[in-house]
Amino acid sequence: MITYILSLVFAVVWVAVTGSATLHNLIFGFALSTLVLWIVRDEMGARGYWRRLGRILSLLALFLKELALSAWKVAVLVMSPRMDLKPGIFAFPLTVTRDFEITLLANLITLTPGTLSVDVSEDRKTLFVHAIDCSDIEATKRDIANGFERKIMEAFR
Amino acid sequence: MTTAETIISYAVWLALVVLCVSFLLTVWRVIKGPTLPDRVVALDMLTGIVIGFIALIAIRTGFTLYIDIAISLGLVGFLATVAFARFILSRGNREAPKGDMMKTFTASVPEPRRKSAARRPSGTGPAVRRKAKK
Amino acid sequence: MMDILLAAITALLILGGAGFALVAAIGLNRLPDLYTRMHAASKAGTVGSGLLLLAVGVHAGDLPTFARALAGFFFFVLTAPISAHLLAMAAHKVGYPLCAESVRDEMKDYDKRI
Repeated sequence: MITYILSLVFAVVWVAVTGSATLHNLIFGFALSTLVLWIVRDEMGARGYWRRLGRILSLLALFLKELALSAWKVAVLVMSPRMDLKPGIFAFPLTVTRDFEITLLANLITLTPGTLSVDVSEDRKTLFVHAIDCSDIEATKRDIANGFERKIMEAFR
Repeated sequence: MTTAETIISYAVWLALVVLCVSFLLTVWRVIKGPTLPDRVVALDMLTGIVIGFIALIAIRTGFTLYIDIAISLGLVGFLATVAFARFILSRGNREAPKGDMMKTFTASVPEPRRKSAARRPSGTGPAVRRKAKK
Repeated sequence: MMDILLAAITALLILGGAGFALVAAIGLNRLPDLYTRMHAASKAGTVGSGLLLLAVGVHAGDLPTFARALAGFFFFVLTAPISAHLLAMAAHKVGYPLCAESVRDEMKDYDKRI
C-alpha cells in the first residue's frame, strides 16, 4: 500500500522536475517510480512507514535549521575583527552502526556549527571530527549524541 | 519598468559586484596556495561562486534553463573535488612545511620512523592499497 | 502588491546568497589552515550558491522551475559535506598539518597505526 502512495509522490515529483504536467508524463513517472521502488523493495520492508516518514521530515527540518545556523556562525566568526580560534580534531564514539547511518551522521555533523567530520575508523566505532572551537569538547559531543544521533536512530530503527 | 523589476535589477546588480569581489578573493587563495588541498578547496569554492553567477544570469535574462546548467556544473565540480581528493591521497604529501607542524605532533613521532615515512614515494602507500581492496 | 513582495523575497535571497559567498571567500583568505578554511567553504559557500538558486526558483514563479531549483539546492547541500569530508580525510591521512593554534588532534594516533 505504502509503496503505491510513495510512487505516486515520486510521480508528482517527476512531473514537477520534468516540467510538463500532462497525463502521459504522470503515468510515465508513476511507472518509473514503481520500477525504482521495485528495485529497492528489500530495503522497503520495514513497518511503521508513516511514523518513520514524519521522523525523517523532522530530521530534514533539523538539518535545514542547523545549516542556516552554521553558515551564520561561520559568517560571524569570519567577520569578527579578532578571530579567536581553538581548532582541533576530536574522536566521537559512534552509537549508530550501519554504514548508511554513519554517512548521514557524518554529513549532518559537517553542516552543524563549527564541526566538520574528517574520517571514520576502520572498525566503524569512532568518528573523527574537526571543530573550530575545541574549548568544550564534552558539550559538543553531548550535543551531537543527543541531537542528530538520537534523531537518526529514531528515524531509521 | 515596474517597482518589482527595479528592486530585482538593483539587487542583481549589487550581487554581481559582490560575487565578483568574492571570485577575486577566492582566485587569490588559489594562487597563494600554499598547499594543494588549499587550492582544491578554493577551486571547489570557485565552482560554487560560478553557480551563483549562473543563477544571477538566469534571473537577469529570465531564461530558467540556466538552472539545469547550474546543476550540471555543480555535479562536475563535485566530481572534480572527489577526483582531487583521491589524487591527494594517492600522491602523498610532497610539500609538508617543516616549521609549521605542531610541536607536540613531531615530538611524539620517533625520529627514524619519520624519516622512513618521508622517504616512502607514495606517502600512505599501504593504507591506500588496503582501502582499494575493500 | 503581491509582485513587490515576491520581488522583495527574491532580492533578499539574492543579496543573502551573495553575502554568504563573500563571507566564504573572506574566510578562505583569513582562516589559518586547510581544515578551518574548509569550514568556511563548505558551509557559507554552499548556502550562498544554494540561496541564489532558490532565488531563481522564486523569481520564475512557476512550480516546475521552483521544483527544479529546489532539487538543485538539495543537491548542493548534500554533496558539499561529502566533498569536504573526502578532502579533509585525504589531507589528514597524507599528513598535511593542522595550524599552530590547534589545541588537539586525537586522530594522529589512528593515522600512525595504519
